[in-house]
Amino acid sequence: MELLRDILDKQVVDREQVKIGKVDGLVAELRPGKPPKIVAVELGSITLARRLGERPGRWMALLAAKLGGKRHAEPHRIAWNKVRDIGVDIEFDINVRETAIFDWQDWLRDHVIGRIPGAG
Amino acid sequence: MKKLLEISLGVVTSVGGFLEVGSMATAAQAGAAFRFQLIWAVVLGTICIIFLVEMAGRFAAVSHHTIADGIRERFGFNAFLWPLLAALLVNFLVMAAEIGGVAIALELATGIGFQWWALPVAVLAWLFLWKGTFGFIEKGVAILGLVTLCFVVGAVMLKPDWGQVAAGAVPTLPDHDAASYWFMAVSILGASISPYLFMFYSSGAIEDEWDKSYLGANRAIAGLGMSFGGTIAIGVLIVAALVLAAHGIEQVDDYHQLPLMLIPIFGFWGFVLFVASLGIACFGAALEIGLQQAYLVAQGFGWTWGEDLKPRDDPGFSTVYTISLFLAAIPIALGLDPLKLTIFSMALTAASLPLTVVPFLFLLNDERYVGEHRNGMIANAAVIFIIALGFVLAIVTIPLQIFGGT
Repeated sequence: MELLRDILDKQVVDREQVKIGKVDGLVAELRPGKPPKIVAVELGSITLARRLGERPGRWMALLAAKLGGKRHAEPHRIAWNKVRDIGVDIEFDINVRETAIFDWQDWLRDHVIGRIPGAG
Repeated sequence: MKKLLEISLGVVTSVGGFLEVGSMATAAQAGAAFRFQLIWAVVLGTICIIFLVEMAGRFAAVSHHTIADGIRERFGFNAFLWPLLAALLVNFLVMAAEIGGVAIALELATGIGFQWWALPVAVLAWLFLWKGTFGFIEKGVAILGLVTLCFVVGAVMLKPDWGQVAAGAVPTLPDHDAASYWFMAVSILGASISPYLFMFYSSGAIEDEWDKSYLGANRAIAGLGMSFGGTIAIGVLIVAALVLAAHGIEQVDDYHQLPLMLIPIFGFWGFVLFVASLGIACFGAALEIGLQQAYLVAQGFGWTWGEDLKPRDDPGFSTVYTISLFLAAIPIALGLDPLKLTIFSMALTAASLPLTVVPFLFLLNDERYVGEHRNGMIANAAVIFIIALGFVLAIVTIPLQIFGGT
């Protein structure tokens, strides 16, 4: 399997099939004499900004920490051993509600969208 | 039987997507200024969009990815950013133009200046997206959009010289105002080959849960639907050529000249039909583009999306269409001329084509996505042609805008 080609930028879903983001980055362990091994995938704006360059990455990390507190100063990571299925989407055996990934959408729902009449 | 129903619905829906402020305004301008001579641009644009829409639908049905998903996954985030930003910007301008089109229709109907209508129109469109489902919007836009057929009826009733109409389908050099002629050709192509149309179509295929069994229906919908839309645009062009030019209007530079088009044919009802066609076609397009902005961002970043979900369940998605609609209402509310904005945004759409069409060449030939349903020779030749056309348009648009724009 070619990691960069087959994993990076794929849709990630949790065990309830909720779309939680894309594989924005990969965390690999370099092993002497053997091919590198993926240990986790990263999601979120910090990882994306890092792909654009070192400086955007630093700025995004500062911004995320400022807006979201310590919990958001580092990219979100999902351990690779949680992977359940790789098809159109990559399914991880996690529940997104137990992570910080949806914090901003929850905030948006509770403070803005949910307050507009008819939001459901 | 169910498939047949679905195909007819799809055909009618694609008309709703095809015919909007851009194709109406550019066709009317071209008809008034150059009679039937620019029909070839509508025909060429229609053929190009048929190919792209068919491919977008086939890609979605076979790979279960939308075009935006495909671009991000295949080319990576950094490359995806360019088509994303270009599409967001072009969509913003086109949506502002559509809101302007509805606002003009309301001004014609009520006499109250168009800028006052921009925000109410945005609020109404937002309400449709907020409360409506995908099927409701798709079918509503489709059925009401049939009113635009009055242009085809009008064109036939005017008894044009069909020989001359057919001759217009062959490109010829203009004998006056060459810069303006080519600028109009570019705007017509931009109005016909809109990225939002094929990207929206691929999202729709996912929303309607298409699979490989829809490949035949997809081909029929793309071919018939876009041809149907193109026919109505040609109807607008013919009516403009025969009516506006006869009344001495050779340069359409104001929307207020346009309602005249149908009056000699249908009398007072011609005015009503024109206002209804303009308002409905533009409103439908504004809804689709609003959704498309949200699809694009949500799919690009992997958020939960779907027009059938309650806004509470996809807060990111619903925030994007809310912001897009209200942002797009601002230029019109500030009094920016909707016609100028329309023509400008159509030319810019044409110039942005390479960014959104180049990925088709890769995605539709990649076995990992489309397997045995890869592009054949003809489809690939069409994509390469559209990319080449897009590059030419990208280079000539700005000089033509300066020398040939109205």
